[in-house]
Amino acid sequence: MTSVSRRLTAVTVVVMAGALAAALTAPPDRLQGNLQRLMYVHVPAAWLAYLSFAITLGASAGWLWKRRASLDRLASASAEVGVFFTGLTIALGSIWGKPVWGVWWTWDPRLVTTAMMFFVYLGYLALRRATLDATVRARRSAVFGVLAFAQIPVVHMSVVWWRAVHQPPTVLKPAAPTIDEWMLAALLLNVLAFTLVYVLLLRTRVRLAVAEETYDAAHDRAAGELAGQAITTPDYRKEFPNHV
Amino acid sequence: MRRYRLLAVSVLGVAGILLGVLFVGNINGNLVYFLTPHEALAQKADFEDGRRFQIGGLVQDGSVVTTDEGLRFVVVSGPAEVPVAYRGSPAQLFRPGIGVVMEGAWDGDTFRSDTMIIKHDENYQPPDSAEGEPGDGAP
Repeated sequence: MTSVSRRLTAVTVVVMAGALAAALTAPPDRLQGNLQRLMYVHVPAAWLAYLSFAITLGASAGWLWKRRASLDRLASASAEVGVFFTGLTIALGSIWGKPVWGVWWTWDPRLVTTAMMFFVYLGYLALRRATLDATVRARRSAVFGVLAFAQIPVVHMSVVWWRAVHQPPTVLKPAAPTIDEWMLAALLLNVLAFTLVYVLLLRTRVRLAVAEETYDAAHDRAAGELAGQAITTPDYRKEFPNHV
Repeated sequence: MRRYRLLAVSVLGVAGILLGVLFVGNINGNLVYFLTPHEALAQKADFEDGRRFQIGGLVQDGSVVTTDEGLRFVVVSGPAEVPVAYRGSPAQLFRPGIGVVMEGAWDGDTFRSDTMIIKHDENYQPPDSAEGEPGDGAP
């Protein structure tokens, strides 16, 4: 663990603790009561999904431009974290939806487009496993990573463009946020805490990818040497002693 | 590389067509998550008795009556109002003035429903706040 990692972890833990305290002490909603506190985890998780896929977009475009392996690793790592947080968003939204809306799931535009985003980026991860050639993999997934981002504005705007049961954006909208300032402060603190967790996960995943590649390269080299030693010229006189 | 480009172009093409159908074609209005009471009354002929769809509006103040099997109330949006007979227990947040999306079908002039979804708004305020009464900004 480097000193940067250690400091980042410490800062993340402190901010997480503060964010949790803020989420628990912010005033309850006039209508939903304490159930509204689920917003402090649901919204940051959704924000992280957007952020991760935006980083995947940036890194993918960067790879197409610079062809640097590190950008491919970044795009891949960010997509993995993004898929996790998209799943978390859907799960937390479902848990919030059951008591407040009355259903775990409904075919609402926001829910459907979010599920679509989840499956499209699962497809991205599947595509990365479809070939062993590192360059081909990087190129394909970079193109996919750029194209797939087109749906993120659709996910965000779905509640504005179409009739939905999901409420429109509270914070990320043209007008001023329609939320009590203490609730907004708690929400933003949680967004910050989740973002720090994202950075931590992303760094760890990228370093794991580097370690994996180093290991694979060393393994391939060792295997190559072994295979080289195993190959000997067959001595056919020994195998066919009766052959003249 | 050539084959890959062909694949990319065809995927893009299919995605483009799908998006076009989605935005322009409106796929027979299936994208509309619910009808307002006004639209539901205007399109009553398209939804014969028994064909299920969803109506979204506000629960009219003073219209809620408890019945043996559930509730009766009126869903409004503007001047249009639809009487709803709901079978089941009300959702936790159900109250006069809140937004609801009711799933069900016409039964004469009554909308008979068995599924209630609450549509709350995007305004979050503490209980003692005077800003925004329940139901503001809902459908």
